[in-house]
Amino acid sequence: MPSLIDIRRRVRSVRNTQQITKAMKMVAAARLRKAQERALAARPYARILQQVLANVAEAASQSPDAGEQPLLAVRPENRILLVVITADRGLAGGFNANLIRLAQNFINSHRDKELTFELAGRKGRDYFRKRVREQIRGEHIDLFRNVRFEDAEKIADAIIERFSNSEIDAVYLFVNEFKSLLASHLSARRLLPIEVPKSQASADYIYEQKPEELLGSLLPRYIRTQIFRALLESAAAEHAARMTAMDAATSNASDVIDKLTLYMNRVRQATITKEIIEVVSGAAALE
Amino acid sequence: MADTFEIEIATPEKLVIQQHAEFAEIPGKDGYLGVLPGHAALLSELGEGALSITADGKTESLTVSGGYVEIRDNRVRVLADRVER
Repeated sequence: MPSLIDIRRRVRSVRNTQQITKAMKMVAAARLRKAQERALAARPYARILQQVLANVAEAASQSPDAGEQPLLAVRPENRILLVVITADRGLAGGFNANLIRLAQNFINSHRDKELTFELAGRKGRDYFRKRVREQIRGEHIDLFRNVRFEDAEKIADAIIERFSNSEIDAVYLFVNEFKSLLASHLSARRLLPIEVPKSQASADYIYEQKPEELLGSLLPRYIRTQIFRALLESAAAEHAARMTAMDAATSNASDVIDKLTLYMNRVRQATITKEIIEVVSGAAALE
Repeated sequence: MADTFEIEIATPEKLVIQQHAEFAEIPGKDGYLGVLPGHAALLSELGEGALSITADGKTESLTVSGGYVEIRDNRVRVLADRVER
């Protein structure tokens, strides 16, 4: 039987852990609020850009001298770039593991293809460095504390250049999308070639520039916005995941403390009972 | 004809302005665009320069660069890379 002191020591250690998880939960909650606000603030631009793109693409496709847009070029998907956005830090439940598993499944089912990687987030980088080091084309870490558009631009432009030069045939994006506090959504979608969104109500615009010219500058911008949004969403989802994980950890710690306290009292009682029996039987033996 | 129109200015990071206006002067890539209520649908690249909005007789001016301007259904939507007040 463990001694009382041992149990007390364990209770104290669990309580310390609980304090840490509680603090992490609070920090995650505060950061989540900020990240959520930023993700929301970025939506209007993305929405409007998408509508404009849809309209312009339609107009450009009807134009007689519609040039070939390099970012719309559909080629057989033999060389695929995977953009994997994970977090820089762990302790966020299954946040990183689930996403990495999703990407790994993709890799397993595309063994015959030539895969390359563009990684954002330290966790994903560490994982893929151990496995496919030679295929990594870009690494981006420490983005998530303050996601800037320039960061997204840098990643996007590197991808766009390689795609336009026909170094790669398709780009897939793996990211945790923020749905709600409790649920994030694992998403794997094709980024390039761009699938132009359908326009709902096309307007008869006066075009100051030729539609195909506009399209040429709209498409890269669309990719940049997509990546920017993915980074923002991932940041928000990361904090949400960490908050839920730390909340669970805090209440688990409470359970453990309760159980240990109960056990400790039982041990204490047993010791007292034993001592009484010893005293009583000692006295009885003397009579 | 409506006497005001809606104007929205957004950057990738946030929506900067969403209000009604009587007149706006927008730097298009190929020259300034003056916008009054009831303007025809138009799409242009955004140039660099001062964008001014007149509402309730007061004029506000911002510096914008890079992006697009879309006008339709009495709504002006400016997508700018950068906006400075």
